Amino acid sequence: MRDSAIITIPSHPKYLAIVRAVTGKMAELSGMAESAIEDVKLAVDEACSNVIKHAYKGNVNQKIVLRFKTSPKGFEVIIEDNGLKVHPESLVGRDLEDIKPGGLGIHFIKKVFDIFAFDEKKKKGNRLRLLRYIKGKDGD
Amino acid sequence: MEIEIVDYKGTKVMELSGEIDMYTSPELRRELMGLLHKKVSPLLVDFKEVSYIDSSGIATFVEGLKGIKTYGGRLKFFSIPDRILEIFNFSKLDRVFEIYRNLDEAIKS
Repeated sequence: MRDSAIITIPSHPKYLAIVRAVTGKMAELSGMAESAIEDVKLAVDEACSNVIKHAYKGNVNQKIVLRFKTSPKGFEVIIEDNGLKVHPESLVGRDLEDIKPGGLGIHFIKKVFDIFAFDEKKKKGNRLRLLRYIKGKDGD
Repeated sequence: MEIEIVDYKGTKVMELSGEIDMYTSPELRRELMGLLHKKVSPLLVDFKEVSYIDSSGIATFVEGLKGIKTYGGRLKFFSIPDRILEIFNFSKLDRVFEIYRNLDEAIKS
């Protein structure tokens, strides 16, 4: 089954609840298992939080565009912003053994998505592609 | 997210409900830091009605734990739903937070 949806949200944290709701519904349409859906919701929320914090430096009046696609291959989310360029090499989560505030979001994203890649061709802002391959009948 | 601070037989209990994310965690931080400023200990946190937590919520509690330890206080969590517990486990925070099954266990420990 192929489904797609596009949403544009202001870069304000109050819209993260909408991101989670749409992500959850699209993941549900892809046939993903419930536990995986919760992981995916958290990961997409974290990716958008990173856009607000790092690309837009907390500016809540910018735009974030999310494109969702489901296909027999997997579940894909493309997140675009027009903020400051993010250097992928700087996106390293903290060592999980090193207990301190922050640095967990990237671990949540990489735990659930098989592909985490920035499109280097985008001149202004960032285009992050997240893809989770379909895994077995229950999606786990 | 809703936060209610109740007094249970002389012990402060923070009852949380709803979603803790980048939007709501600043309010959680304000409440938590307010209690730490008064050197409350032990501080119990009831997670029973928490439906979601992200890294900003977790970071707030890590900061709270570090703060409470500066005066020898204890931060105790109880009634954590399985989904939230999974996130704590994945983050290896189940090793640093005091986690109890229910209020009675948290009080007695």
